[in-house]
Amino acid sequence: MTADPLDPVIHAPARLRIVVTLAALPEGASLSFTRLQDVLDLTPGNLITHLRKLEDAGYLESETTGNGRASRTSIALTRHGRTALDTYTAALRDLLAGL
Amino acid sequence: MEGSHDIDRTARADDGDGLDPREAARLLGQAEQEARRQFNLSPLWLTALMGAVILVAYGALWLSTRGQHPYNGPNLGVVALVYTAVAVAIAASVKVYRRATAGVGGPSVRQQQVEGIAILVSFVLGSPVLQGAMKHYGASNSIVYGVIPAAAPLIIVGTTVLGIAASKADWPQFGAALAVVITGVVAAFAGPSGAWLAAGIGLFIGMVGYAAADSLRHRRLSPQA
Repeated sequence: MTADPLDPVIHAPARLRIVVTLAALPEGASLSFTRLQDVLDLTPGNLITHLRKLEDAGYLESETTGNGRASRTSIALTRHGRTALDTYTAALRDLLAGL
Repeated sequence: MEGSHDIDRTARADDGDGLDPREAARLLGQAEQEARRQFNLSPLWLTALMGAVILVAYGALWLSTRGQHPYNGPNLGVVALVYTAVAVAIAASVKVYRRATAGVGGPSVRQQQVEGIAILVSFVLGSPVLQGAMKHYGASNSIVYGVIPAAAPLIIVGTTVLGIAASKADWPQFGAALAVVITGVVAAFAGPSGAWLAAGIGLFIGMVGYAAADSLRHRRLSPQA
């Protein structure tokens, strides 16, 4: 079965989980990299790669504060990302209704 | 560069080429459920604990004042029980809040903290100030230790939460806060002992109703619903 109507940026297990997790926060809220990694149980390398893809698509924005070991990276879903997830969910619903 | 090759391999392996829509929907539902569990400020066990605290505290207050003529107010043992129950409920809420908001930042978190302070101030100051003023002007025990402490916190805190819910367009919270305010109004006219019973029942129903409405709202948003 093909999944063409589904946004390929979101339609991957790890990225889908990342976007859904961040969408559970109130609009404008961000989550630290370590807490996101803890919630999703992903390796740092794997998480960084998927975050980069989502950030390149404009779905996420990240901000790093501090230096060295004291640095903290926080990630937030953009409005564009939230809309993309809504569109993805609606497309998924339509696909499932047609099955 | 070995590390980046590993990363690329992992990312390719986790692309969604072979991901079936049914599997995607299942994954989405699972991720939503897990995220709700992680960031939930009112998990089911806390709602159950709050419900138990309300029933025990208000039930004990009602039982200890029922049939008093003239009305003197609850005895010290019951007041100590109520304060212990409230302290346990507050400690549990703080623990849940800290766990749920760990690593979460942004303006919404700061707004939640300000809302929490507003609710706490209205709870701590509202009723004791009114009780003090009533006592000062010679009001009876049935007013100072009955009607006011039972009804006033519900009306004052309920109105504060009503304003917060309206500003966020959070209608389940608005409905629950309105129910609490109405309960306070009913309690104010239920007599000094009946006020405790009316307040306890109303608060319990409002809290359970809010938990049910919130759970229904989340279920409706799920693609599998």
